[in-house]
Amino acid sequence: MALGLRGTSGEPVIDRENGEELIRVQPGVDIALANLPRESPGTLYITTKQVIWVNDVDKSKGYAVDFLSISLHAVSTDPQAYSLPCLYTQIETEGDEELNSDNSDSESNQVQDLSNVREMRLIPTDPTQLDTLFQVFCECAELNPDPNDEEQEEAHEWIFNAEQMEEEEAGMCDVDEDYLSHNPTNTLGHSNGHHDLAGNILELQINDERFEDAEETEHNEDDTHHH
Amino acid sequence: MLFFSYFKDLVGKEVTVELKNDLAIRGTLHSVDQYLNIKLENTRVVDQDKYPHMLSVRNCFIRGSVVRYVQLPTEGVDIDLLHDATRREARGG
Repeated sequence: MALGLRGTSGEPVIDRENGEELIRVQPGVDIALANLPRESPGTLYITTKQVIWVNDVDKSKGYAVDFLSISLHAVSTDPQAYSLPCLYTQIETEGDEELNSDNSDSESNQVQDLSNVREMRLIPTDPTQLDTLFQVFCECAELNPDPNDEEQEEAHEWIFNAEQMEEEEAGMCDVDEDYLSHNPTNTLGHSNGHHDLAGNILELQINDERFEDAEETEHNEDDTHHH
Repeated sequence: MLFFSYFKDLVGKEVTVELKNDLAIRGTLHSVDQYLNIKLENTRVVDQDKYPHMLSVRNCFIRGSVVRYVQLPTEGVDIDLLHDATRREARGG
């Protein structure tokens, strides 16, 4: 999945088959990308995966950005920072790693390429909506942890084990068979869908090392107790 | 989960969050979640010349994956407590 902002055309496309849901539609929202002039009027669509803005007059003009690419969002109400109260967002782009820190001036020259846009302001015509928008952004951002996040991996294992334990405690042998027959499919689908193979192998190796370390530590402690 | 528990104890304290894009934001830690997403209040940018747009924002949500460092208040660092916690984590407890 590519980072950064992208252009859209027409009504927002929501990938319901993959679990994407529309959370909020906010009419009367202007948008300002980088240092470009404000565009209006528009409607903001917030889904469980992305933020989409569509121009009300010309629906062929629209933008979308995944929550995975939104580094931070904040309520900005200081007229010195921006003339209108807005939800300020920073966007992570594909080029971020290669670029140096002294390129902030060149940003305005690069915005023809939307994938280089690093700042986006959403300006609701009703500023009292700002806190609600901020809250919705927080909730949706929390639904989108990084795919390679270690904590997430651990959480998955934990849930996996807990289900297994519940099944064993309940003594349901049928469920165990069911679980065995479905498990390989899930594993394959998971690795093909969300991770590249190299990433999986790397994670496995990291986990193995940790496991060995933990064992050694326990072993050493046992020795200490014996003496 | 060690960092998550630790950061939860720092809620209400003043911290500086340094992002991978070199932006550093100082503010009161409002909350943190299991992905180490961080919410700050009463924020201000440390290097204001470089990021004038962030001059003052009321509240700020920072994605955990873009955080490089969190600078902690000295009084928030209990070395003995951390020592115990890391040992417990290493044991897998």
